[in-house]
Amino acid sequence: MELVCVGLNHRTAPVEVRERFAVPAGKLGESAKQLLEIEGLGESVVLSTCNRTEFYLAGDHAEDAAATLRRILAESHGADSDPHWYEHHRMSAAKHLCRVVSGLDSMVLGETEIFGQAKEAYRQALDAGATAGVLNRLFQRAFGVGKKVRTDTRIQEGATSVAGASVELAEKIFGKLAGCRVIVIGAGEMSRQTAQALVSRGASSVFVTNRSFDKAEALAAEMGGRAVKFDEWQPVLAGVDVVISSTSAPHPVVLPHHIESVRRVRKFRPLFLIDIAVPRDIDPACGEIEEVYLYDIDTLEQLADEARARRQRQIAECDRIIDDELRKLNLPGT
Amino acid sequence: MDRWFLIAATALAAVGGVIGMWSVHKGTRSPWTVIWMIAVFAAQLGFLSVRGEARGACPLIGLGEILVFLAWSLTFFYLAIGTTYRLSLLGVFTAPVVVVFQGVALIPGVLAADPQRVAGTNPWHETHAAMSVLSYGALALAAVAGVMFLVLDRQLKDHHLQSGLFRNLPPVRELLKSMVRLLWLGVVLLSIGVFAGFMMPREGGTAHLIAASAVWISYVGLLSIRQVRGLTGRRTALVAVLLFVGSLSVFALV
Repeated sequence: MELVCVGLNHRTAPVEVRERFAVPAGKLGESAKQLLEIEGLGESVVLSTCNRTEFYLAGDHAEDAAATLRRILAESHGADSDPHWYEHHRMSAAKHLCRVVSGLDSMVLGETEIFGQAKEAYRQALDAGATAGVLNRLFQRAFGVGKKVRTDTRIQEGATSVAGASVELAEKIFGKLAGCRVIVIGAGEMSRQTAQALVSRGASSVFVTNRSFDKAEALAAEMGGRAVKFDEWQPVLAGVDVVISSTSAPHPVVLPHHIESVRRVRKFRPLFLIDIAVPRDIDPACGEIEEVYLYDIDTLEQLADEARARRQRQIAECDRIIDDELRKLNLPGT
Repeated sequence: MDRWFLIAATALAAVGGVIGMWSVHKGTRSPWTVIWMIAVFAAQLGFLSVRGEARGACPLIGLGEILVFLAWSLTFFYLAIGTTYRLSLLGVFTAPVVVVFQGVALIPGVLAADPQRVAGTNPWHETHAAMSVLSYGALALAAVAGVMFLVLDRQLKDHHLQSGLFRNLPPVRELLKSMVRLLWLGVVLLSIGVFAGFMMPREGGTAHLIAASAVWISYVGLLSIRQVRGLTGRRTALVAVLLFVGSLSVFALV
């Protein structure tokens, strides 16, 4: 019995190559079943995400089948893709799957989405009858290992993006974000991402203001919020909990007196100011107001950098867990 | 026997606090803090029941018993509030306060070695003593939540976000909510205590009742200002801590 993984991912292939080999999400099982027509192959699972396409193959002659598969792919999709493919054999293939499921092979180290994607790929292959003893045991163990890695290490701790770091801080200030009200000043991409991240965690009302009102309306519509004219945003401050500012103004837009004027109306509730503009939009003196927590782009990026570094330091521990768990599995073909 | 219960309660609180702090330092949250505090609570109950049996009344005679009753009340509110609001870290901050109160009670001479049976108990007097000390438990826990708020507020303001303590502290808004609810609870209980104090037959001077009334007015003032005008979290927390520390002087007048 042999076990092989053939694949390409964001490290080995640019997007223009990856997109040629992407398998539609609903056809993973069907593709896995088709692969069984290759001689010497008894089982297969096809995993395809925006960052990778991988074929997990098991059979008495899976290594020969992998060579056949690569030949077929080169013939159907172009031979120029061949240098982008990698192969893992036996234990290395099993370890690779565990690393993928644990998020160690992802573009954002430790991300969790891949776990669900791998589960779905396996489920479709199982339903299509493309798996049997070896891949069933391997995938089920890999999901167990993935859970253990995430539980026993800090691989998914801390946000690795500015938007994620903003959400974490908002949750540290307000707890659950349900009912939190947000104003976005400047309808740029960064503010859209940050506001979207807050909305995805429960923030309920979003106000958008921009010098060009059309842009404000467009972003407000996307967020299910309300556009506010640029000369009318100041009174809105009285009712919001979070301010995201990202205009291209050459001077500060949010000044201490804007906040001072609404403090009484707000009953001095905590206010979280996120300044992701360069030059800065929010006067640093606003951060000296007692109930205000002010974070600028440098601080947020530093938080994201530190989280990434912390995750990197966890890799050795994750690999140790994977090795221990695979040793216990004693899988044929490894 | 009662002293051994008290020593056990103090030792358990000290160990629980140290283990909790060590966990926080490592960046994790100890699931055992609440278990330690339940054990502390059981030992405190042991002490109070032995003393209550000896007194034939609520054991609130003298500074030593009041301090232990206060520590018991604090532990009780932590177990009721801390677990409800998932403020497990509250236990880590509560344990040292319990150790201090009970540690003072253990100083030779503070706790009557041979508690005498109370002759002719008065229900107003009993209500006054029990409700007042119970209210101090809630107000003490509000002060503990206030300290936690001040620590978190400082860390958020200064962008010091990497410590284990920061990761384990509950959100600002949750801390504020808990602190204000505890202040309300403390004020309601204190109101009953002060009212009963005016109703009970008084012996000696009225300095103690005047001081208790001043404490009551201060807390009602704090909550009224927060409710009507609004008050920043930092000021609410700071006043809650200072008022509690200051109000302990009432016991000196018992």
